[in-house]
Amino acid sequence: MTSLVTIAWIYLRIGLMFVGGGYVLIPLLNHIMVEQYQWLTLRQFLDGLALSQLTPGPLAMLATFTGFRAGGVPGALVATIFIFLPCVVLMLLVGRNYDRLKKIDIISSTLDGLLPAVVGLVAAAAWNLGVASLSGVKEFLILAIGFAVFKWTNVTPMVVILVSGVVGLLLN
Amino acid sequence: MSNSAQKVRLSEIFLTFATIGLTGFGGGMAIVALVERVCVREKGWISSEEFLHGLAFGQVLGPFSLNVCTFTGHHLRGIRGGIIAATAFILPSFLLVTLLSWIYFTYNKLPQLQAALKGTNPVIIGLIVVVAIDMARKQIKGGGGLLMAIAAFSASVFLKLNAAWILLGAALWSLCSSYYRRRFT
Repeated sequence: MTSLVTIAWIYLRIGLMFVGGGYVLIPLLNHIMVEQYQWLTLRQFLDGLALSQLTPGPLAMLATFTGFRAGGVPGALVATIFIFLPCVVLMLLVGRNYDRLKKIDIISSTLDGLLPAVVGLVAAAAWNLGVASLSGVKEFLILAIGFAVFKWTNVTPMVVILVSGVVGLLLN
Repeated sequence: MSNSAQKVRLSEIFLTFATIGLTGFGGGMAIVALVERVCVREKGWISSEEFLHGLAFGQVLGPFSLNVCTFTGHHLRGIRGGIIAATAFILPSFLLVTLLSWIYFTYNKLPQLQAALKGTNPVIIGLIVVVAIDMARKQIKGGGGLLMAIAAFSASVFLKLNAAWILLGAALWSLCSSYYRRRFT
C-alpha cells in the first residue's frame, strides 16, 4: 500500500497540471499510474477510463479509480480530493474577484462580447455527443421526445434523465 | 452576492448539486445544461449572463462541469457555498466509482451500465440543444454575435480546437472590438 501522503502529493500535482484542459489528463495519468508506479496494467487503466465515464463527474473521476487501486477507499478519497483541489481553489478565486472585475467597464464588455462563443461551444458539445452516440432510429426518437419535453414542459430534468435510463435498460 | 435577496440555505445548495451530481449522466456539457436549467431557469439563483461568464472561466480552468458548480455555489453563499456545491456534485460520482472499482478489482469485470446510457445519451443531447437555443435567444444579438457563435461551433466541431483556446481567441476579439468602439465612436 502506498502511503496516503504520497497519494495526496501525486494527485495534487496532477490537479495542478490539468488546469487548462481535461484531455492532458489521460496520457498524464497513464504515464504515472501504469509506467511510473505500476499500480495498474494498461488494460485496467482503460477499463477504469470507461468506468469513470459512466458517471456524471468529470473525466478526472479516473483519480478515484486509480486511487482506489493504490490505497483502497481512503486512497480513492484522498486522490479525489487532491486532484480537484487546485481547480476548486482557482474557481473560488475567480468567483471572489468576479463582482469587482465586472464593475470595470472594459472587462464587463469583453466578457459580454464573448458570450456568443460560449453558446457556440455548448451547441458544439451537443453535436459531438450526437456524432458519438446516435446510431439508430431508436436513439433519434428518444432525442426527439427528450427535446420536446425539455422545450415545452417544465418537468425537472433529473426525472427525465432517470426515466430515460430505465428506458435504455429495457430497450437494450 | 446581494444581501437584499434572501440567502439560499447551504443545505439547499448541497441537495441541489448532489441531485445534479447523481443524475447528470453524460458529464461535461450535460452538467452545464442541467445547472442552467435548474439554477438559472427553475430557481433564478444566478442570471444567464453571470452563469455564462462562469462557464467561460470554467472552460479555461479545466473540468468545467465541476467549475460551474463551484462558481454558482460561490455566487450564492461565498467560499462555503462554493465548497459545498463542488463537494455535493462530486460525491455521488465518487461513491459510484468507488463501488464500481471495488466490483471491478474483486470480480475483474466491468459492470454492465452501458445499456442505461444508451437511453440517457439522446435525452442529454436533447437537453443540451434546448439549453443552447435558450442561451442563443438571450445572448446572441446581431450579426456579429451570430458569426462568433458559428465560428466557435466550427472551431470546436471541425477543427477540434480546445475550448480554452477558442474562448481566449473570442475574448481577445471582444476586447479589441470594445476598445475600438470606445475610442472611435
